[in-house]
Amino acid sequence: MKSRKIESSIVAPDMTPVIDVVFQLLMLFMIAINFENTKADERSRLPRDMLAKPPEIRPEHELVLNLGYKRGADGSKMDRTPTVVYNNRDVPISQLGPGLEQERRELELRHGRKVVDDVTVLIRAEADVSAGFVQELVQKCQQYGFKKFLLRATPDVK
Amino acid sequence: MKFLCHNPPEKIQFPMAPLVAVMFLLLMFFMLHLRIVVPEDDFANNLPLSAPQHLLRADVNLQDIKVGLRSDRDGNLTHLMLGSKDLGHDEAAFERLNREILQIIGRSGNPQAKDVEVEIDADFETQHRDVVKAISQCTGRMDGKTKQLARFVEKIKFAPPRKPKV
Repeated sequence: MKSRKIESSIVAPDMTPVIDVVFQLLMLFMIAINFENTKADERSRLPRDMLAKPPEIRPEHELVLNLGYKRGADGSKMDRTPTVVYNNRDVPISQLGPGLEQERRELELRHGRKVVDDVTVLIRAEADVSAGFVQELVQKCQQYGFKKFLLRATPDVK
Repeated sequence: MKFLCHNPPEKIQFPMAPLVAVMFLLLMFFMLHLRIVVPEDDFANNLPLSAPQHLLRADVNLQDIKVGLRSDRDGNLTHLMLGSKDLGHDEAAFERLNREILQIIGRSGNPQAKDVEVEIDADFETQHRDVVKAISQCTGRMDGKTKQLARFVEKIKFAPPRKPKV
């Protein structure tokens, strides 16, 4: 039997189209990425409003507080009292004091003692949270020197 | 003079593997960081939620407009009040509030309306969405054609919080 000797050779595929596609994808994700909302809790269902608009001037220092209910897998409320998601923990408003104190101290260490006057507290309260709890949260923040507040809402385009 | 005999230029091949590897790493990074979220914006920029309780009372003057939101224990809106006037409790009530505010200030952008303050007095149980809606209706109206905000009132404040119903 006659055997044929096959010559081995290195096959170098053309990488140019691959790199082109990867570049395109990279551009897409780089443009679409949003680093701003990293502190936002995606579970929160914010109230919708037509007048919600992007801020004309972004606050220099902001503290984001997510106020909402603990919910089960089906979305039902597990508790009647809403909590603030702080450091990945659900903290009742009444126990938020140490966290706010820590935030204030960190801000003062980094930016000076008077920075707390310029800090905007961004409240992302769920639509069905009682207004009384939102006001309790505001009062809690006031106790620790925070003075500026903003409410977050989802723009209603209808 | 001696001339060197040059060989014909060879095709220089860059190693593409590290470049592709880095590209893939960057791609993975951005893909994993991408969060598809509903856009959200700030609402009520001029909302002076910050005034302490004693200041809230001292601020009241003759031009103040009081908007009350009464609700049952479950947070369902039962009465939307403008002063002592009951506007109802449905979607139309908020539109009525918008019209009433416009009547009070005369026209949108009225310079005299800059001093007018609206005090939101909501029951403890009132849902946050209703409070936001009330603030929105007092703040102004979005013009359907120009998509510009016709502003009615700029100053909005909260009344001292009420106690929850037992």
